[in-house]
Amino acid sequence: MKTHHILSWILQVLVVLILIYPSWSKLIGTPEEVALFTILGMEPTGRYIIGFFEALAIVLLLIPSSVTWGAILTLCIMSGAFLAHATKIGFGGEITMMSIFLGVTFLSALGILILRSQELPFLRDAFARSTTPQKNDGPTNK
Amino acid sequence: MPITRTAALDLHLLAKFTNLLLPAALILSLLAGINISFYFHFLTVVLLMLNMLNFAYLFIQRRHTLLRNFGILGQARYFMESIGPEFRQYFFANDTEERPFNRSERSEVYRKSHGIDSTGAFGSLCEYDRDEIKLRHSLFPTPHNELMPYELKVGEARGLATTYTLHRPIMISAMSYGALSAYAVEALSIGAKEAGILMNTGEGGFPKYHLRGGSDLIFQLGTAKFGVRHPDGSLDDEAFEKLCEQPEIKMIEIKLSQGAKPGKGGILPKEKISKEISELRGVGRDHDVVSPPGHVECKDITSTVAFISHVQEISGLPTGIKLCLGSPREFEDLVKEMIKQDTFPDFITVDGAEGGTGAAPTAFLDGVGMPLFVALRTVDQILIRENVRLRTVLFASGKLINPAKQLLALCLGADACSTARGFMLALGCIQALECNRNTCPVGITTHDPSLIRGFVVEEKAKRVKNYVDGLLSDIDHLIAAAGVRCASELTLDHLYIPDQHELAPLMPNSASPTAQL
Repeated sequence: MKTHHILSWILQVLVVLILIYPSWSKLIGTPEEVALFTILGMEPTGRYIIGFFEALAIVLLLIPSSVTWGAILTLCIMSGAFLAHATKIGFGGEITMMSIFLGVTFLSALGILILRSQELPFLRDAFARSTTPQKNDGPTNK
Repeated sequence: MPITRTAALDLHLLAKFTNLLLPAALILSLLAGINISFYFHFLTVVLLMLNMLNFAYLFIQRRHTLLRNFGILGQARYFMESIGPEFRQYFFANDTEERPFNRSERSEVYRKSHGIDSTGAFGSLCEYDRDEIKLRHSLFPTPHNELMPYELKVGEARGLATTYTLHRPIMISAMSYGALSAYAVEALSIGAKEAGILMNTGEGGFPKYHLRGGSDLIFQLGTAKFGVRHPDGSLDDEAFEKLCEQPEIKMIEIKLSQGAKPGKGGILPKEKISKEISELRGVGRDHDVVSPPGHVECKDITSTVAFISHVQEISGLPTGIKLCLGSPREFEDLVKEMIKQDTFPDFITVDGAEGGTGAAPTAFLDGVGMPLFVALRTVDQILIRENVRLRTVLFASGKLINPAKQLLALCLGADACSTARGFMLALGCIQALECNRNTCPVGITTHDPSLIRGFVVEEKAKRVKNYVDGLLSDIDHLIAAAGVRCASELTLDHLYIPDQHELAPLMPNSASPTAQL
């Protein structure tokens, strides 16, 4: 369990570091981001919204009790980014670096979620394969 | 289940619908996002997550049948179940419904502990057409100036030099540091000192926090004998003698059994074993600490009485026993053996099966032991019949949180009452029933620093004092109403016992054969 904890934090820090620049640049409005969001048809409101969610994800990933929610949010953002790449802007050329970061972030967030799957009851239930004795499982009168 | 099927909600059908709707909505949202506006993809992403979760519930996990059949909709049941207790307690249960103590009973304690008026209005919330026992009042209540102060000497019958005198008919019953947080114990101790009442240390070994307030203490010698034991579980005479030198410890109570789990030893769940407790009790932190069901020295009636005598000798203090009554026959044999060995406990605490605890198996909580009033009457009766009633003193405990019940116990033969949960309620317990999980929301039965933080010792000590004051005031009024001058003048004749009550056959003028037991 301790190793899970440490691994999770390594991944959390990784994701946070990756997300800092995109989040900031979206909120500031760098030319690259403006161009991107014009293609998507979400300029400027969508850009602000996504920038905000990325910033929120950074915060959630660092506060111990909300890490799993931060990971879920990151997955959501990355899925959205994936859709953008897949349907509008492609993966290669100038955007290769972004695509790679996308993949890394996505997999890292997934990793965090898997490492911490025991923390959220609905996740625990989603992957429970057998009736193993559990600790503080909520109400004792089933 | 409704009998007709018109306009009925078929949850299974609904679940099947949602499980088809989810993927459909995902596809629609995806298409909309691609073709209409990228903003739709906010929805797409959320639906994607929900779909994956639903898929996992339906096809991947194997533990919950409900989730395999109903998908995400099935989680509604678990969610509702989890908020059930709070909803029931705050919205749906009426004032006389909750267990173990209903809202009207708890209210009385809360109001006393805040020092505010605890009178009721309009009428009693009790079921008067049922079989409840009442105090018989006199046509001529005792005037206030004729009431005698309460005084109970323990150890006198034995001719002990260091007798102890109680000046209040109320005591704080056994709650150890371990079961309770350090702050709670400290608040109780300070409050007990202020109120002039005795406090029982519980079976948690050296009573570090009980000593903090300077109140008089009864040291409870539980079956695990924490702090005063040899590795084999027997009493370490030297350590025990040394402990008895603490000036605050006035009496010793040998715990034979407790009402909440009679025949089973004390339990401290591992979640509640903090570092300090681990050191104080000399136990590890990785598994529950379960005390043995009985004292190693007490293998049978003879050795039990011998053990009582031994402890009396070493401690040099008034020494009594605490037990929950199981078999009257066994208790009778015990008394006969006591006569034979000329050894009597200086007091006997009768704990009713309805007694409380921090942790106990449900089977023991619900189904073992005799309830207090019957047990009390039986014990009193046996002692009287054997002509030894005057050689000891009776304490009663078991849901005696309010003066009405306490008076009944005093009439049934108790010389003093003790309560644990009454004082917990005074400290602010909200009956969340989480004592064994280390999550007590009000910092009383937990060691979690973030929860005990909210508990302010000075404030709560005042509550203890207020509660005792409220109790004593009401008890005085009740004694006056009964037409006697003090608690010791209360007798069975001061009780109204309906015919169907469980106590009726045990009353002296009853024609029933069990009255002769």
